[in-house]
Amino acid sequence: MPSKDHYVIIGNGPAGNHAAAVLRKKDADARITIISDECIPYYYKPKLTGFITDNISRKDLLVLSLESYAKNNIRVRLGQQVTRIETDSKTLHFDHMEKIRYTKLIIASGCNSRVLPSMELYEESLKFVTSYTDVMEYKDQIKNAKEFFVFGGDFVGFKFLRMLNAMGKKVTILIYPHAFWPHNLSDAMLDQMVASLEKMNVKVIVRDDIKQIKESHGAYQINTQKGIEKKVDMVFSFNGMIPNINFVMGSGIDCDHGILVDEYLKTNIDNIYACGSCAQIYNPAVKSYTTSIGWPNAVSQGEVVAQNVLGENKVITSVGRKYFDLEGVKIKTTWWKDIDDESQL
Amino acid sequence: MKRNDLYSKEERVFKDKNKIYSAQSVKQIAYSTDARDFGQVAQSVPCQEACPAKTNIPGYIRCVHDKRYGRAYELNRSANVLPGVLGRICSRPCEAACRHGEPDNGQSVGICHLKRSCADLKPASHRIIEGLYSPTDKKVAVIGSGPAGLAVAHDLAIFGHKVMIYESMEKPGGMLMYGIPEFRLPRDLLMLEIKNILRMGIELTTGKSIGVDIELAQLEKEYDAVVVATGCVTPRKLGIEGEDLENVHNGLEFMEAINEGKTPFVGKKVAVIGAGFTAVDCARSAIRLGATDVSLNIRKTEEYMRIDESEKHEAQFEGIKTNSLVQPSRIIGDGQKVTGIEFVRTRLEKIDTPPFRTSVRIKNSEFIVQVDSVIAALGQSPDVDTVSKDLKKLKRQDDQAWKGKVFAAGDFVTGSTDVISAIAGGRKCARRIDEQLNGEKRRQRVVRLEEHKTTDRPRAFDFIPKLEMNTIDMKKRLVKAGNEVETGYIDEQAFEESKRCYLCNLKYEIDPLACIYCSACIDVAPKDCIKMIKDIPMNPDGTYGEYEETSDWNDVVSITIENANCIRCGQCLAVCPMDCISVTKTELIEIDI
Repeated sequence: MPSKDHYVIIGNGPAGNHAAAVLRKKDADARITIISDECIPYYYKPKLTGFITDNISRKDLLVLSLESYAKNNIRVRLGQQVTRIETDSKTLHFDHMEKIRYTKLIIASGCNSRVLPSMELYEESLKFVTSYTDVMEYKDQIKNAKEFFVFGGDFVGFKFLRMLNAMGKKVTILIYPHAFWPHNLSDAMLDQMVASLEKMNVKVIVRDDIKQIKESHGAYQINTQKGIEKKVDMVFSFNGMIPNINFVMGSGIDCDHGILVDEYLKTNIDNIYACGSCAQIYNPAVKSYTTSIGWPNAVSQGEVVAQNVLGENKVITSVGRKYFDLEGVKIKTTWWKDIDDESQL
Repeated sequence: MKRNDLYSKEERVFKDKNKIYSAQSVKQIAYSTDARDFGQVAQSVPCQEACPAKTNIPGYIRCVHDKRYGRAYELNRSANVLPGVLGRICSRPCEAACRHGEPDNGQSVGICHLKRSCADLKPASHRIIEGLYSPTDKKVAVIGSGPAGLAVAHDLAIFGHKVMIYESMEKPGGMLMYGIPEFRLPRDLLMLEIKNILRMGIELTTGKSIGVDIELAQLEKEYDAVVVATGCVTPRKLGIEGEDLENVHNGLEFMEAINEGKTPFVGKKVAVIGAGFTAVDCARSAIRLGATDVSLNIRKTEEYMRIDESEKHEAQFEGIKTNSLVQPSRIIGDGQKVTGIEFVRTRLEKIDTPPFRTSVRIKNSEFIVQVDSVIAALGQSPDVDTVSKDLKKLKRQDDQAWKGKVFAAGDFVTGSTDVISAIAGGRKCARRIDEQLNGEKRRQRVVRLEEHKTTDRPRAFDFIPKLEMNTIDMKKRLVKAGNEVETGYIDEQAFEESKRCYLCNLKYEIDPLACIYCSACIDVAPKDCIKMIKDIPMNPDGTYGEYEETSDWNDVVSITIENANCIRCGQCLAVCPMDCISVTKTELIEIDI
């Protein structure tokens, strides 16, 4: 008898797509829907910097073509945003006022750029590199701009910095030690990082803070608390990522920084699961709650969540201790696999 | 003819329209005590219903829109005697209930900020209005000059009774003066509004504790009634090892010390325990005392914190971190001073009856954080015994307690709540006392109904984004700890925010006898608020139950507007070809009996 289930997956990244693939493999008849607020099929996010510099074409950026969703009988809703989840009636509300029903829901909505409270006032002047949509908006502008200002740091930020450097752009960075959330940089780490960046001919500002950003005629003037003044063409912010879970708020699903799930990736509400970087799990190894980051973690969580949706009880396990490297400074991660390791894609 | 009779219960239409009092003859006003009208107001004006003091919120917001700030202030003052204070520190149950904040409707209206605007923007020459009754020669003693005590005293003075307030501290205001930091509530404003209350002939004795300096029995002899409004002052303890170490502060005492001008030691790294307003006030005060690493440690998640979003945002802006899902298990010291604190991680768990989320410790999840000081702000409970051991014998009902001459109100009765609830409780208590002293009730709640020709707002106003409060920058916050962080809306901002109110006090009705059932109103309604129904069950309190809708024309009894769903966009009114939709302004008011 054909399955009457409608599995809905919010998120079109590695976690969501790997979950969909497992579900399809094990349940040939079920309806599967993937919802994405972006207008592009499943793509390699870590390759976005390569896409900006034109080393990678749009086609190379894609992991899946639209046809391959159809081939697997997976309905994909692109450019649609879920605004609310009604758990009692198992209904999702979209911002275009449509509603759809699910029997089982997987939330794999990933992360958004974190905006520091001190920078919220200037959010309109800040640019982020978190999605294809962002990049498409700024790609040409980045090519034409000469001077850049970067706030924060974080892993993506440093990658972006290396990219700008290779493009011959002038870059100033104001490093926030707390940009590497949840880790705070120590003074020694900071000094090592500065030395490494200065070798790259990047102007580095440390132990300072934003005073104001003023926009005029498409350019930005930045003033810092310690009196540094800088005129640039574009301002970017890289202060870590926060789980993209606004649409979950008020639904009754327990959230902390991310969606709280148990070791089976189940939320507190029946038939709702979360995986990837939007999910937060208690990790006994570090006696703390962690959100996973990185592509390989998302893939393995996506696969595990699909199996659990289908009635198995697979526990998500810690994947060992690793370090990641930020301009010569090794930051210990206890839960995460190597992030952004493209060789593993 | 009684005024209530002008409004026919059977026909629910205005009768004898031109014979209402001459001064109001052009306005067509009726006063109703019909349960259906109270039910309608309760269901249709959610902000007012959520407000413990039943403030006429749409009414004062409309006055702000019309730049009648003085009138807006008085509308507030008729429900709560401290509008300027509450406009800053209210816990805002109204905003949580605001229809603009419902799913798909955007964000709730900045009701509290607009309340503040009434106080800030009213003209310098504004005169407060008090409807005084003749003196009664009755004497009432009020113990405690916090919000409940002040509200009781004010209303009793209005009723003509002679009131004496006994305050144990040096200054009046209770928690407002000693519990809330100056950067949230400027003391000159607080004192101004207190003086506005005291000038009703109320006497104030400070520095006298009842039960210590004067016995309650003594007051009972001297006065016709005694009100206990001593609030909640006994702090809850952590109940863990190390609580008595030096630099482990209790939240309330910590705030008291700061508000008395002292500077308790906090060091650089501070762990605050607690999830309420006091905890956040302590954390923000610690930053102003020079701490650089301040954390709020809560057992559940931020969602369950008992503070509003703007407070959370300000704390975050000032660099305060929130560590959720942790519970302190031990405070570590060097024998004398605190050096660290041990936490355990918790997880959320469900309790079915009553439905509630609780936190449960996770085994073997202990971890230690080095700190210079700990502030435990876990709330407080009433101190029943100090005033008199007899107070345990008071008869209690909801937020009121009484026995013979002795009455109690505010947090003393309800346990720790919020300022607006204390004021509401105080006012209720004053009415109960007056009834006892006077022999009969003098005031009565009615629904004032006034025909209203227009919707007062275009649909475009629904899309105006919420205006954030103006605040001072971090440097100014730190240069003087008492500098008020929020600076209020300027005139234009208040006007802009006031446009956002749906004006839920306007009731929309379709006259089923004039309606031709063309469904044009249904077609244009942006919400599912106009319904073809076969029945509406009525609850005993006058509210409506769930509308029984039907799409079968044979069953349709009426086409009706569900006011609890209506966002007062006015589209139906504009499109109706029969002009059969009426607008009535409803107002919950108090009148003489």
